Amino acid sequence: MYRTRSLYTTAGFTVNQHLFWEMLTDDQAEAIVSRTLELLERTGIDILSEDAAKTLKEAGCHVDGNRVRIPTAKSEWALRCAPSRVTLCDRNGNRAMLLENNEAHWGPGYTAKEFMEQEQNMDTNNNKIRPFTIADVEMYGKLCDTLPNISFAMPGGFPTDVDEANAEVEVFKTLVKATRKPIVQNVKNVDQAKKIIEMAAAIAGSPEKLAIDPFVALHVVVNEPLQISAEAADVVAFAAGHGLPIIVSNELVSGFTAPAESAGVLMVALANSIATLLIAQLACEGASFITGGFFTNNDTVNELHPYGSPEISLLGGGYANVLRTLRIPSFGFAGGTDAKCSDAQMGLEVALSTLCSGISGTNVIHGAGNFESGCVSNPTVLVLADEIACETKRIMRGVEMDEDRLARGVIEEVKPAGNYLATKHTRYYFRSEQFWPTLMNRKRIDDWAAEGSLTLGERTVNKMNDLLVNYEETPLPEGVDLDKIAG
Amino acid sequence: MRTNLRANTAVKMNVFTEQQCQELVFAAEEAMWLTGTEFHDPESIEILRKAGCTIDGIIAHIPPHITERALQTCQKHIVLCNSRTGARELFLEGGNSYFGSGPCTPFTRNPYTEERHRATRESVKWATKVLDALPNIDYAMSLGIVQDVPLLLSDRHEFEQMILNTDKPIITVCNDQYGQEDNIKMAEYIAGGEEELRNHPFICLYAEPISPGVHCIEAAQKMVYGARKGLPTIYTPCIMAGGTAPATLAGVMVQGLCESLSGLVLGQCAAEGSPFIMGGVYTVLDMGSTIFSYGAPELDLMLAGLADVAHYLKVPMFGTAGCTDTCVIDEQAGVEAALSMAMTNMSGANLNHDTGYAEYGTTSNLDLVVIADEVLGMARRITAGIQTTEETLSLKEIEKVGPGGRFRAADIPEPEEEGVFEPKNSRVDYQARLVNRGAREIWEKAGGKTLKQAANEKVRDIIENHEAEPLPKATAAKIREMVENAVGHMPGE
Amino acid sequence: MATIEDLAQAVFDGSTSKAKKLSQELIDDGMAPLDVINQGLIAGMSEVGAQFKAGTMFVPDMMAAAEAMTAGTEVVKPLLAADDMQSLGTVFICTVKGDLHDIGKNLVVMMLESAGFNVINAGVDVSPEDIVAGVKEHHPDIIGMSALLTTTMLHMKDTIELLKEEGLRDQVKVIIGGAPVSQDFADEISADGYSPDAVSAADLAKSLVGAA
Repeated sequence: MYRTRSLYTTAGFTVNQHLFWEMLTDDQAEAIVSRTLELLERTGIDILSEDAAKTLKEAGCHVDGNRVRIPTAKSEWALRCAPSRVTLCDRNGNRAMLLENNEAHWGPGYTAKEFMEQEQNMDTNNNKIRPFTIADVEMYGKLCDTLPNISFAMPGGFPTDVDEANAEVEVFKTLVKATRKPIVQNVKNVDQAKKIIEMAAAIAGSPEKLAIDPFVALHVVVNEPLQISAEAADVVAFAAGHGLPIIVSNELVSGFTAPAESAGVLMVALANSIATLLIAQLACEGASFITGGFFTNNDTVNELHPYGSPEISLLGGGYANVLRTLRIPSFGFAGGTDAKCSDAQMGLEVALSTLCSGISGTNVIHGAGNFESGCVSNPTVLVLADEIACETKRIMRGVEMDEDRLARGVIEEVKPAGNYLATKHTRYYFRSEQFWPTLMNRKRIDDWAAEGSLTLGERTVNKMNDLLVNYEETPLPEGVDLDKIAG
Repeated sequence: MRTNLRANTAVKMNVFTEQQCQELVFAAEEAMWLTGTEFHDPESIEILRKAGCTIDGIIAHIPPHITERALQTCQKHIVLCNSRTGARELFLEGGNSYFGSGPCTPFTRNPYTEERHRATRESVKWATKVLDALPNIDYAMSLGIVQDVPLLLSDRHEFEQMILNTDKPIITVCNDQYGQEDNIKMAEYIAGGEEELRNHPFICLYAEPISPGVHCIEAAQKMVYGARKGLPTIYTPCIMAGGTAPATLAGVMVQGLCESLSGLVLGQCAAEGSPFIMGGVYTVLDMGSTIFSYGAPELDLMLAGLADVAHYLKVPMFGTAGCTDTCVIDEQAGVEAALSMAMTNMSGANLNHDTGYAEYGTTSNLDLVVIADEVLGMARRITAGIQTTEETLSLKEIEKVGPGGRFRAADIPEPEEEGVFEPKNSRVDYQARLVNRGAREIWEKAGGKTLKQAANEKVRDIIENHEAEPLPKATAAKIREMVENAVGHMPGE
Repeated sequence: MATIEDLAQAVFDGSTSKAKKLSQELIDDGMAPLDVINQGLIAGMSEVGAQFKAGTMFVPDMMAAAEAMTAGTEVVKPLLAADDMQSLGTVFICTVKGDLHDIGKNLVVMMLESAGFNVINAGVDVSPEDIVAGVKEHHPDIIGMSALLTTTMLHMKDTIELLKEEGLRDQVKVIIGGAPVSQDFADEISADGYSPDAVSAADLAKSLVGAA
């Protein structure tokens, strides 16, 4: 195989080092931001926390009861203060997730109140559905710990067998024992946030160590247009004041709690995000802040808010695009489905959202495992999403080009009617250039039949059970008593 | 009113920069010149020799200037039409993306019995009806080689079944030049003449080289004949990294372009100015099972890259989507259809085939076609992106609703009214026609069906109740006669 | 001091130069040539084959190992008596007339050679007459035919008919493969077997010569 001898350079050669994807130009993103700043300035936003409203007034906003009108200059100050990158570490304090520059990370969801039991080789259309429990949280923690393309943990659902007021604390306590990976922890109020930060600090060794190498990000939800609940506002201020990254997630439905027009959805979400960002920056200038959401549409024909619709990816991608131009780390949603059994609908909906969230460069993507329009938690969906995330990463990686990869010399060596099977070039590159499936079938029909004619769903159940059987727990540092803190 | 608003009217996705596209084309030109490709058709060798290529036995070394001239002269504005009316339907240019099925699978899954059997006239008829009925499908290919007729005439029978059962454009894949001649004659008859067909083509021709670098007699002859007839001809390789192409994805691009553009040169040398469509199926050789993988993410990635090259060259591109490696229509079919449909649509490839290809391209499956049609609707919704106009930046509406308020739901699009002008709007909430969004009780009451089952019901409904816009009886009879009188040729004779 | 395990490892690693060198060293050290082949070269190859079936090694690994094995064999062959070198049998393999596809066939060639067959790769576009001539010249145990088109598949039938006419049908086993081919078609044309891929083709060939 010939290669040129010269040590030449190729000046001025610009490549797409990774896939390029853009929904909105900078001009379009700017148009959305400008209109949103006008919205905040003239219409204003309801901040239902007295403390937060007071702080905003002191900072120069116009406050009338709950209605806060934020001058553009204040919004832009907050946007400037927000760090463009946030690092989440693992439980041992090692760098784990870089939330910056279109880096995508996937993880499970947290809201479903029912659980779908899986049995090996069982008819996947007749699985038993029962309430979601704290034991299921542990299972999700273990799966997150072992799945290579899942970067962080969330509980997978909402446990119904613990005291509801303290559920999030129990969830954190369970997850942090089951996995070393970063945890995105939803909280309802400051009391829960306090307990969780205390537990995390105990594991890290001290509150200072936790603030430097955070392995948990607190997550609050805003689900009203231009309205921040007292609990959400106070948690944001609390987290920022304690040096812990905060994720503000807009859970909005277009055509219901947001306009039917997609651009309008982004505006409402951005208004919520900027207001909470300002609260965070006022609590601590430079506070780590991540925002985004789970956007879906109001399906009036079927009378529900879908978990598998293309609007989820459309709006999520658009919002990630806006945040990209604002240089704020983004939060998104993928890996949900409206399917009620394990079938091609589940496959296509999980795949579409996993792909789109990744190529849009959304930094923290939650939701894998949301089944049956979010009612049921299905852990095999998380295992499937892990595989699809790996495929998505291969796509995102793009095509590398250099003299050796262009393979002019190999093409000349092989010649027409030859083949590339035995070339050294093939032997050198085939492993690294390709995606290696662990679940997708590549077998011919006879071989596939000989192995039991398993569907992808059945193979996924088997893989999940294998992972759980082979899971090895990494114990917490000695002397940490989480039960005492959790109360 | 403002100035200076550059907007994406749809998602923009690129694998390669323009400079990379240029580099790939140059590398292909190098391979076409240095290594050359084999032409097994003596007439093709003569055409190339006369044009100035260096001939060494059956290898044609194409000088770069000839490739570059061919890229200039080929007709780039290609429009495929309706076969009954001649209406101009598919504008294969820029980032317009149209989708359809694939040809020539040896086997098909019977939608009634689930039996995997060799494709027949009836299976092609059924497949064409399904393609005709589905709203997101833009053209037809046969989804099977007709094998219940003399095999040497399978292509004439395929064409007959397709032309009877749809008025959408047809891509016809023929055994050889003779089959192509016969199918073109039938198409000319329907169009009303040779010139009528050339001016408003409702068929597109197809030929593929054997990789690496071999233009067998049939492929070269079909290319030349198609070019001389001035009919759009697709000349694309099906190559796999590590097997019939280099193991690196960049190397696959170079190999594929070399083969496709060699066909372009042949066509332009035979008839300068003829319409040409580049493209391919670029994927990986699965190094464990040795299949040509239709579900690999590399396929989606490389073909998106090829779309960039095609846009750079301003030549229409033939892509691939809606296909899978799985043997049954399970979760994997959904996953792979979704990944390929979304990637292809966002890449702006123009004419995209193989929807309905299951079992790594061995067996066609109509359930998959119906499912892929739904996926495509979703992909189109996402690709169409978000508009940022004064109106869509809904400041007034948001102000009016106010903090904590509720917004009006999106209008459900009304069916088109005869005679009433409604602007085309692709940015509406996607109306699910097949995927299930109902509550569990509703789904269970309706039978608790999987997506495959729901798709299969739709397939049967179309087969039993849908009728395409018919050909006039006399025309259909004439086509029958032409098929009956066709003469087949044994390969290699 | 080279060991037989080192040689097997060199084949396993696909290192052609090492396999050649170590084969020579072992011969020079006095090891019996057949032992070098069986316990060194073939042992390494078999391990790769087993891992390939298990899905932990892949086609390029097999090709590299096969190349290393061949290199080592070339060193040893001159020292063997003519009938010492035991192969499982001879296979005459080709793509049929009018068909130029050959990558599938080449994968089968590789698998057959790795399994220990002597393979005559007659190439592509091979007419029934040339296949018959090949049978007369090489006396293969098995004929393998490949086709990728439904139209060229027909030549498989012609070939079997021609073998019958020439009175050669009983002297060979005929196996077929290729995307449009199936067991049904093999039965229809009275072939002795069909296999869907290269691995099963090698297994089929082994069973036909009674070595499975």
